[in-house]
This record gives sequence, C-alpha cells and structure tokens, in this order.
Amino acid sequence: MTRQPDFSSAPRTSRVSLFQSLSLAACALAAIAAAFLAYQARGEAQAATRRLAEVSREVDAARGRVQAFETHARAAWAGMLAPEEAPPSRIVAEVASLLPDDVRLERIAIDYRRGGVLELVVVARDARAWDRLLQQLEAAQRIRELEPGPEARAAEVRSLVRARWAAGP
Amino acid sequence: MRFDHTTALTWGVALLGTRTYLAIDASSVTAAEIAESVKGQRLRTLAHEPLPQGAVMPGPAGPNFAAADAVRAAVARVLGDVSRARITLVLPDGVARIALVEPPRGVLARDYLRYRLAASLPWPAAEGVFDALDAGSGRVVGAAVRRATVAEYEEVASASGANVEQVHLAPLLGLAGLLRRRHTDEVHALLGDVAMCLAFVREGGILALRSRRRDRSQGEASRLRAELVRLASQVANGNGSVPLAVSGSDAPGLRPDLEGAAPTATAPFPTLASGAGEASWLLGLVT
Repeated sequence: MTRQPDFSSAPRTSRVSLFQSLSLAACALAAIAAAFLAYQARGEAQAATRRLAEVSREVDAARGRVQAFETHARAAWAGMLAPEEAPPSRIVAEVASLLPDDVRLERIAIDYRRGGVLELVVVARDARAWDRLLQQLEAAQRIRELEPGPEARAAEVRSLVRARWAAGP
Repeated sequence: MRFDHTTALTWGVALLGTRTYLAIDASSVTAAEIAESVKGQRLRTLAHEPLPQGAVMPGPAGPNFAAADAVRAAVARVLGDVSRARITLVLPDGVARIALVEPPRGVLARDYLRYRLAASLPWPAAEGVFDALDAGSGRVVGAAVRRATVAEYEEVASASGANVEQVHLAPLLGLAGLLRRRHTDEVHALLGDVAMCLAFVREGGILALRSRRRDRSQGEASRLRAELVRLASQVANGNGSVPLAVSGSDAPGLRPDLEGAAPTATAPFPTLASGAGEASWLLGLVT
C-alpha cells in the first residue's frame, strides 16, 4: 500500500517533487560534509594524540632532570656550611688566635658552599714559625683536613694553607 | 518588501510545495492549486468550469467521454488559472469499485484487494489498477479502476496541456480528509455527480463503508437520510444520536431536507465559499 494512492494507467519515471529532490540532495550533502568533517577530526585527533605522547615524553624527561637537580641540590645543600652556624667574624677571630707571634695572616677566604673550606695565605718569619703554625692548626678543634701549601724553608715562609672549618657547638 | 533569506526560503517552500488537483466530473471540471506545507494544505487558487450535460458520463466500464472536445476545452480553460507543473488528476465517483477490507498480516494490500474485488468487477482483473488508503485499525479502503478508463481521463488532461503526475480518486480524497479530522462517531455521505460514498467514521478510522450510484430523483434527501441512519444504527449498535453529514455535489440543496426530516442533527461541515459549490474531494484536501 502506498501512502498516497496512485491510479495512473502506467507507471511514471519520477514522481518525486522538486522540493523532495532538493531536500534529499541537501541531506546527502550534509551527510557527506559530516563524514568529511568526522574524517578530518579523526586525523586531528590522531595528530593530537601523537603530540600528547611527545609532550608526555618531554615531561617525563624534564621530570627526570628535575629529580636529578633536586637530588644534586639536596646533596649540595647537605655539604654546605651555614653562615649562621659559623659567622666569618668568629672564624677569623679563632684563626687569628691560633697564629703564633711571628706568623702573619695576609688573606683568608671562606667557602661556605663547599662546607666551610678555608684558604689562608700566611707569612711566617722562618721555618720554625711555620712549623708552629701548622702544629697550632692541627691541634685546633675546629680545623680539619689541613693541607699545607708549598714552602721554602730557607728564609721567610709564604704559603697557602687549606683546611675545613668544622661546625659545631 | 524586504527580501532576505527567510523570505526567499518561505516563498521557495511555498512554491515548491504547490500541487494542482484537476477533477473531472459529470457536471464540471475543477482545478484547485493547493499549497502543501508542514502546517497542512491550503487552497491557493480554484478554477471551475461547467460542462455541457452528457459530456462526461462517469462509469466503471466503457467510454466516459461523449463530448471529449468540450471537456478538453473546459480543462484548458481551468488550467489557465493554475500551475500546470505538478498535477494530480482526480477521477470522479462512479468510475471505481471501492471497498473497506482488512488484509491479513503480511499480505500486500494491493494483492489482497485484487483477490477480494476480482470476482465483482465488470471487467477482467488484469485490466485494473488497484490501490488503497489506510483506514486505521489494520483496514484499508481499496479501490479498483479499469486501466482503459484511467487512460481516457489522462488523455483528455494531457491533450489540454496538463502534466499529470499521479491519478487519485475523488471519494478517496474525501475519505482521507475525514480520517484526518479524527472526530468521534459520525456518518458521512460524500456525494459525486453520479455516485456517492457513505462512511461511518470514528476517531480517525473508518468502521463501515458503502458506495453506490446516486438516484437524484425526487426524495433523494429522505432516502439518503434513511440510508445514513441505517448505517449508523448497524455500526453503533442502535445508537441513533450519531451525527449525520452530507458534503459534495448538491449537498447544500439536500441538507435542509435532511435536517427537516431528521431527529438527529447534521454534523457541521465546512463549506467552500466559491462558485464551485461543494466538492467533497476538495474539502478532504483542505480541511
């Protein structure tokens, strides 16, 4: 049964109205456009997925680097000497108290980042004075890892002494 | 007038959805240009041309046109006032065998109609064109018309410049209109010039249907009323309060007699204010 009965004596080729034809064509065009857009969106989604994977990999790598930096920083922070624990004035005063009378301190450098490494440029009147200085420094409670520099024992001794300041009460 | 995209679309839909119905009956030729839209169908133009008496004699077999030239001229005149692009040719009451049937599930309505009507047709079933209108509740109003008769009407229309896209039947168009109205119980008489249909309609479905040729002699109104009441009583189990309605050819002249003789009220039926009088197929299209 047809929705609209037709009693024509012979079947006709097309009874579709122009409006119906245009509607059908519009629907077909819309479907094609939708399919094309869906295909495009699928491509864009795949590209976005690939990019996301790349970014994820970059983030992972960056996170690894950050962790390494943090580890390094923690380690570095662990070896540092806090200036609050050993103020320069205290170190200088204590080092000065260890100098014999015939030894002169020309320069002192304190490296807090390397755990309180001290570099002392000293001038001793003679070799015996130099030896006394080293004895005093070795005996000092807060001086560690003493490394005397090159010396010439013929006359006045001018040398560099390296040591580490031991923080504590 | 401001002409923007909305206006263009509105006009475009209105123009593209226009269909012309060309009806030929015994007394006249009528062309109605109907605008089809989502809101329904609306009459845009109506052209009506009377025919000389005897020019057309609608019947199920044999030639229907006694004066084909006069009919062609009348068709050409009415087509001058309407669009000729998409035309539905409307065959009059009396040319088709009509019946209300209930095809078994899974059987094509056309095939079942051919099986049911073949024995009662005045011509071989192989010469017929069968089609059906959904009548609700699994029933269909089936119709069979002889192919040669259809061709006779098509030739007249084509010779007058009509581009006929499809062929419909006046009684089926009228019944389709009744089905759309979805009223409660009503008994309708749809009158053509030479034949008529009687239908009992209930809420969008046809419960009973009869068709026969008209006897337009004296007393037609009382005979018609008696037949309508009988049909209503049979279907409505003796309930005599079912409204009766008459539409179509000569209906305005018959209604006063129906009302005067009847204890039941005639159902209100819309009429077309035009020189064409009433055509039940046209009322079926636009109401």
